[in-house]
Amino acid sequence: MLLRPNPASGVPIYLQLMEQVKHAIETGALRPGEQLPGIRPLAEELVINANTVAKAYRELEHEGVIELRHGAGAFVSANGRPKKATEKLRAGQAVVGDAVRRLRERGVTDEEIRRLFEAELAGVAKTGESRG
Amino acid sequence: MADAPVVEMVDLHKRYGATEALRGLTLHVPAGSIFGFLGRNGAGKTTTIKILLGMVRPSAGRATVFGLAADAASGSVEIRRRTAFVSDEKDLYDSMTVAEIIRFTAGFFPRWRDDLEQRYLRKFELPPDRKVKALSRGMRTKLALLLSLSRGAELLVLDEPTAGLDPAMTEEVLQALVGHAAREGMTIFFSSHQITEVEQIADAVAIIDRGRTVVSGALDDLRENFRRVQLVFDGEAPAAAFEAPGITRVRRAGRMLTVLSTAGAEPILDRARALHAVSMDVVPVTLKEIFLESVTTEE
Amino acid sequence: MLWYKSWRDTRWRFFVGLGVLMLSGVSVVLIYPRVLALVPLVPSSDVGGEVGRRIREIAQLSREFRGYIWAQWFHQNVRQEWTVVSALLGTGGLVAQGSTGALFTLSLPVSRNRLVAVRAAAGLAELLVIAVAAALLLPIIAPAVGERYAVVDALAHAVCMFAAGAVFFSLACLLSTSFDDPWRPLLIAVVAAAVLAMCETVLRDLQPYSVFAVMSGDVYFRTGHLPWVGIVASAAVSASLLLVATVNLARRDF
Repeated sequence: MLLRPNPASGVPIYLQLMEQVKHAIETGALRPGEQLPGIRPLAEELVINANTVAKAYRELEHEGVIELRHGAGAFVSANGRPKKATEKLRAGQAVVGDAVRRLRERGVTDEEIRRLFEAELAGVAKTGESRG
Repeated sequence: MADAPVVEMVDLHKRYGATEALRGLTLHVPAGSIFGFLGRNGAGKTTTIKILLGMVRPSAGRATVFGLAADAASGSVEIRRRTAFVSDEKDLYDSMTVAEIIRFTAGFFPRWRDDLEQRYLRKFELPPDRKVKALSRGMRTKLALLLSLSRGAELLVLDEPTAGLDPAMTEEVLQALVGHAAREGMTIFFSSHQITEVEQIADAVAIIDRGRTVVSGALDDLRENFRRVQLVFDGEAPAAAFEAPGITRVRRAGRMLTVLSTAGAEPILDRARALHAVSMDVVPVTLKEIFLESVTTEE
Repeated sequence: MLWYKSWRDTRWRFFVGLGVLMLSGVSVVLIYPRVLALVPLVPSSDVGGEVGRRIREIAQLSREFRGYIWAQWFHQNVRQEWTVVSALLGTGGLVAQGSTGALFTLSLPVSRNRLVAVRAAAGLAELLVIAVAAALLLPIIAPAVGERYAVVDALAHAVCMFAAGAVFFSLACLLSTSFDDPWRPLLIAVVAAAVLAMCETVLRDLQPYSVFAVMSGDVYFRTGHLPWVGIVASAAVSASLLLVATVNLARRDF
């Protein structure tokens, strides 16, 4: 069900996994209360380190997206948080779509747009200053 | 993870005649981790592994496995009781059949796991009556793995486990390693040239170059801390201003500066802003780039 | 399991050695009638110098079967064949040849001392079997030419052969801990044997003390007593060579 993470992308594998789980919840592939694959079987299926899966699950639990029930496994949270996440993401998507459209109108290429976003996320964002 | 590292190497030196293979290598492998060991050909990976298994004696320094000294005869035998090894040549007994070499090896390990032997025999589809010399390279690797995984070892040491294997077989091998480590809580220490596979399954890595460790740590930490920052300045790029601890490399090309940092992008960006950089680009660095940056020389 | 591996590694050499010695012994026995027929033809006068003297000596001894066997087999053929066979059995070793899984063996939980010990013990056992089997063939085949050969004599000579052969076996073992290829240890051991044999020919006074004298059981043949001094000395030399082999292997980097 979950796609193989890309180890060479520069994004830590556990983050990729978290994103995939959240995406699955959003699209309805995983429903509230439903059980996620076990850590070991998932690690074996995706051929990644079990500790990485465990870390992803821990972080997801920390964010309230899933629940870890001792001895039983990982389950999608039954409360409404995923829905909020969906709305947040939809709103975010609109903002990003708008920004991309406007940058393209200015003649900024897609590659440049991608780099702008990367840089923004990686560190420049903290100071709040705009780039030159 | 447990506190005490399974493998500890402190200031290891090894000299072969006039050549120094290891020049003060220091490394710690945490228990229960999958540890990737990267380096160029001739950097000292195989020598290090052989020292751990008592095949080579260090000229100086200390190497311990499970707290036992690797260069003491009795300690080494005890280490090998609890460690499994797959060499890069996958060197086995050519004249024996698969079944014979399994029985031979099992005889040395009272904790031999028949269930694992059966499982891997089935999973790897190894023909019991075929002679080892008639096996393909991939089959030999799988046989070597079976012999290692079935002995109930706490540590598995592999020298280039997937070298020369096609992608499908590589996946099989990695899957077996990952699955086994998860189920049995074993520590895996492997050397490799395939950076992608190290990135895929390792949770800690070390890069060695010319006999010394140049990078080591948890993979996630490395990924979060290694950053490449590209800066453009109005005039001549002030390279010297960026030399500092935590900065691995500063390269200048006219007005452009490329800074490679192991401590995140923040300090660099601060300084760049203070020096009125015209543009700033921050990019995460892949393990392959970390490797290439750490081992290429620029004298 | 190491014993089994040792056996597997050396079994062809064992069978070849066994075959060579047995064939050699049997053929020497079977041509006795013909030799006996030739003996009267050997001139009894003092001609031919040293070579002539030796031929006359052999002819004299050959009038009797026991003497013939000693002069023709133990004192001649055995000295060459047995030396080579002993060295052949001693070459190789559990970690000698890289292509048969040396690193795999070294990764097993066995000490290097044990590797040498098992290899040596297994090889020496094979050596003993060949010596005894080949020697015992003599009393068994002798009736075919109408002669008798004492079992006691055969066993005594086998012991002497074994003790002397062990020296070359151990030398080959030692050389195998330094060289990885199977040929150099054998070559060097055989050359060493040849040099020893030449020294013995040149320095006639040292003959009684040579390992070849032990090998052919000269003292036993002449006196009926086993050459205890020679046997013990050979054993001591073998043990020392094996000890050096152990130390050598322990020190080595692979």
